[in-house]
Amino acid sequence: MTGSSVSLEGARRIVRRGLGLSAVGVAGLAGVYLLALNFTPVEARQGLAQKIFYVHVPAAWSALLAFSLVGIASMLYLWLQDPRLDRFAAASAEVGVAFSGVMLTTGPIWARPIWGTWWTWDARLTLTLFLFFLFVGYLALRAAVHDPVERARFSAVVGILGMLLVPFIHLSVYLFRTLHPQPIVLKPSAPSLPPEMLRTLLISTAVFTLIYLGFVTARYGLALAEEIREEGRDAG
Amino acid sequence: MLVEPPMNGGYLIAAYTVTAVILVGYWVRLWRKATKSGGGKGKM
Repeated sequence: MTGSSVSLEGARRIVRRGLGLSAVGVAGLAGVYLLALNFTPVEARQGLAQKIFYVHVPAAWSALLAFSLVGIASMLYLWLQDPRLDRFAAASAEVGVAFSGVMLTTGPIWARPIWGTWWTWDARLTLTLFLFFLFVGYLALRAAVHDPVERARFSAVVGILGMLLVPFIHLSVYLFRTLHPQPIVLKPSAPSLPPEMLRTLLISTAVFTLIYLGFVTARYGLALAEEIREEGRDAG
Repeated sequence: MLVEPPMNGGYLIAAYTVTAVILVGYWVRLWRKATKSGGGKGKM
C-alpha cells in the first residue's frame, strides 16, 4: 500500500534530505534570535516581551499551514485513494501539532506581562486549543486503527473537519470580541509594522516554513520506510 | 515625555528557550527514529 516504487534506500534518502533541510532551518532559528535581539528595535509599550511575536506568529503560521495541508491532502485522498496523500497528511498533522505546541506555549508567555494573565477563554485562543486537541485526536486515531485503508479513510474525515476550523481561527478576531491582537500582515490593507520589525517577522516566517518542509519530508520518509519494511515482512 | 519600556526580558528568554527546546527536540526525535531502525517504527 506504499503506492510508489520507491526502494527502502530511496525512503532513507528522503529522510536524510528532510533531516538536513530541517537542520538548516533550526540553525536559521539561531539567526532569527540574533536578528530579533540585536538588530530589531524594542517596542516602547510592550518592551522586550514584544519580541516573542517573532516566534509566536511564525509558529502559528506554520501550524495553520500544516493543518490546512492535512485537510487538502485528505480531500484529495478520498477522491484519488493515493496512499502518498494519506502519508503526507499524517506527516503534516504530526508536524502541525509540534508547531501548535510552540504557538500555545509562547502565546501565554507573551500574554502574562502584556495582558496580566496567562490565558483567557476568548474565541481565538479557545478555537486554537480546540484545533490542537483535534489533531492530537487525529494522531491517536491513526495509532488505534490497524487496517491501513480504514485508517486513511477515518483520519481523512477528521483532517478535513480540522481544516474547516482554520479560517474561523484567522477571522475570529473580526467575528468575536477578543483580547487577541488583530492581524498585522495577513489583512486586506498594507502591513502595519515598522520596516525593521516586518523584516525580522518575514525572515522568521521563512525559517519556520523551511523547518516545516524539512520535518514533513523526514516524517514522510520514515513512514514510507516503515511501510516498505512491513510489505517486505508480509511478502517473506 | 519619553517612556521607559517595561523590564520583561525574562518572558522573552522563556519563550525563545521553549521554542528551541520543542523544535530541536522534535528534530532529535526524528533523527533517533531514523538511526535506530533505519526508518522509524511508529505507525504514524
